[in-house]
Amino acid sequence: MTDHPPAQQQTFKRNAHINYFLRCLRALPTAAQSSDSNRITAAYFCLSALDLLDALFEKTTPEQRSGWIEWIWSLQSGKYATKGGFRGSTFMTTSNEDTSPSHLPSTYTALLSLAILRAPLDRLNVPGLVSFLRSCQASDGSFSPLPGDDVYPSEGFQSDARMVYIASVISSIIGDLSGIDVTRACTFIQRCQTWEGAYASRPGVVEAQGGTTYCAVAAVSLLNGSIVAEDATLRWLIGRQLGGFQGRPGKLEDILDHDVINREADRSFLLSAQSPLGGFGKEPEDYPDPFHSYLALAALSLSHSQSELKPLDARWNISVETKEWLVREFGRTKHIQ
Amino acid sequence: MYSAEYRDAMDYFRAIAASGEKSERALELTETVIRMNPAHYTVWQYRMATLLELKKDLEEELQLMNAFAVENLKSYQVWHHRLLLLTHISPQDPSSEIDYIHQALLPDPKNYHTWAYLHWLYSHFSTLGRIPDEQWKHEQQWCEEMLRVDGRNNSAWGWRWFLRVARPGAATSQADGVKEELNYALKAIHLIPHNVSAWNYLRGLLKHFKLPLTPLLPAVIPYTTRPSATSVESSSTFDFPLPSDPLPNDTPLPVSLALEYLGDSLIEQNQTTEAGQVFEELSLKYDRMRAGYWEYRRRECVEE
Repeated sequence: MTDHPPAQQQTFKRNAHINYFLRCLRALPTAAQSSDSNRITAAYFCLSALDLLDALFEKTTPEQRSGWIEWIWSLQSGKYATKGGFRGSTFMTTSNEDTSPSHLPSTYTALLSLAILRAPLDRLNVPGLVSFLRSCQASDGSFSPLPGDDVYPSEGFQSDARMVYIASVISSIIGDLSGIDVTRACTFIQRCQTWEGAYASRPGVVEAQGGTTYCAVAAVSLLNGSIVAEDATLRWLIGRQLGGFQGRPGKLEDILDHDVINREADRSFLLSAQSPLGGFGKEPEDYPDPFHSYLALAALSLSHSQSELKPLDARWNISVETKEWLVREFGRTKHIQ
Repeated sequence: MYSAEYRDAMDYFRAIAASGEKSERALELTETVIRMNPAHYTVWQYRMATLLELKKDLEEELQLMNAFAVENLKSYQVWHHRLLLLTHISPQDPSSEIDYIHQALLPDPKNYHTWAYLHWLYSHFSTLGRIPDEQWKHEQQWCEEMLRVDGRNNSAWGWRWFLRVARPGAATSQADGVKEELNYALKAIHLIPHNVSAWNYLRGLLKHFKLPLTPLLPAVIPYTTRPSATSVESSSTFDFPLPSDPLPNDTPLPVSLALEYLGDSLIEQNQTTEAGQVFEELSLKYDRMRAGYWEYRRRECVEE
C-alpha cells in the first residue's frame, strides 16, 4: 500500500470510515508508539467516530465492548477520595502511585469513552476526580495535564486553555464545579485573548489559533453558562475560512477548527480529504489518522451537512445521544448515593 | 503493537520507577524511552527529578535537548523540560538561549511551540531584570527582519505586538510610540495590500488604544475603488503613510479588508445605511466565501 492515489472524493464514504475506525480500534499500529501514553485518547476518537456513524453497537460484539470497558476502568487511579482520574494507558501504571499519576486529557477521554460504551458509572470515584482536578489547577487559573509538584511545577508550557476546557467539560459532566476555581479559570481565559480578538494557548503567547479559541470559548460557556464570542472573535474565526478552515492567518487550511460557516465549501473541502480507504487526512492527499478523521466527522455532523451522522454536542464533543445518556446516568448514580 | 525494544525499555522503566530509584542507569533508561516516545510525560517527569537529585550538570542536559528539539519541535514535553532547565540554570545573561531559539525558528518560522517558548524566555528573564535595553532593541530588529522576509508571518506580527505593545515598558506606552506603530502597520499594508495579518494588527492597535478608525480612511480608501469624497475630508494635513498613486498593477481591487474597514468606519460615523451597502457588496460580489457573515453584518446595520 505504498501507492496513495489523489483523493478527490465528493461522496461520503460511510462504510469505508466505519472500517477505518474499527481497524484503528482493534490494533493501534506500531507507528502510533509515540501515542502510547495517550492510548485512551486514540481509543476515544475511534469510539466517538463509530458512535457518530451509528455503527458501534452494530459492528462490535458485547465481549469486545466489555473488554474495552474493563480496560478503561483499569486506568482509573486510586479508590480513595484523595486519588481519582484516569491514566493514559496501562503502560503508564506502576505500583508506585507517584510515578503513575492520572492525566487530565486521558481522564476526559476515558470518561467520554465509558459513556459512549454505555458503561454503568457506579465505579467512578467522583470525590477523587474532584480532588484530582483541584491538584491540576495552577495559581494563575490555568490547568496542567498532571498535578504539579516542586520538581515539576504545573505552571508553564503545558498549562493552558486546552486544559481549562478539559477540566470544564469533566466538571460539567459530573455536575460539580467544585474542582475548579471558576473565577480564576475565567480570568485566565480572558488573558489569553490576543491582538487579533481570538484566543492563544496562554496569556501573551503571540497569536490565536482555531483550536485554542474553541477551547477558550467553550470553557467559559461551560463555566458561566454564557457564550462570550464577542464581535472581534467571530470576525477572526470567519476570516479563517478558505473553503475549509485554516488554523491561523497565512497557514494552509486543514480540517481542524470549525465554526459558523460557508457549509457547502467546507463540506466539499472535508470530503476531498477523505482517504479511499476510509478516514480523513489533515489535508487532501495526506494519510488518514484517527485524530483528524474524528474531527472531520465531528465537523460534518456539526454543520448538519451530513445527514448520515448523529448530531454532535459541540461543547462536550460527543453525540447528543451520548450526552443525554450521560446526564441520565449521573442522575441515576446520584439517586443511589 | 509495540516494538519489542520499546516494550522492554518500558518494563525496565516501570520496575525502576516503582522502587523510586534515582540513579545513572535510571537516567540512561529515561533517555532510551524518550528517544522512542518523546510524548511520554511520566518519563520526562522522572528524568527531571533524577537530574536534580543527582545534581547533574544541567548545561549538559541542555545540549542534549538541542539535539532533541530539532527532531521533536512539536512535542510539548521537550519544550516544558527545556523551560524547567532554564529556570534551574537561571543564567545572568540569557542571550545565548535567545540566539538558539532564533536559529530554531529559521527552518520553521511559524512553529507555535517555539514562539511560545521565546515569549516565555523574554517574560521570565525580564521579570528577573536580565533583559537590557540593547537586547530589546536587538530583538525588535530581528523581528523586523522576519517580517521583511515574510510579511505574512502572523507569528512574527504577534511577536511585534509583544515587543511594541504588550510588554511592560513597551514603546507604545508613549503617544509617539502609538503613532510609529500605526505607521508601521499602514506601510505593511501598502507593501502587501491583501495581507490579513497587517490589517488585523492595525485594527488591533486601534481597538487596544481605543482610537477611531475614521481618521485613517485616506490611507484605506484607494483600496476600496471608491471616490475619496464620499468619505471624510482627506486633507493635506493627513500625517500617515499613503498608498502609492496609482496603485501597483498587480493588486487585485477592491481589497475586501479595506471595504470591511470602510464599513466599520461608516458605522462609527453613524452612516449605517451606507455601511450596510458596503457589506452587501462584500456579500454579493467581493467575498462570496463569507457571504453569510457579510449578510449578517448588513442586517445588523439595517436593524439598528
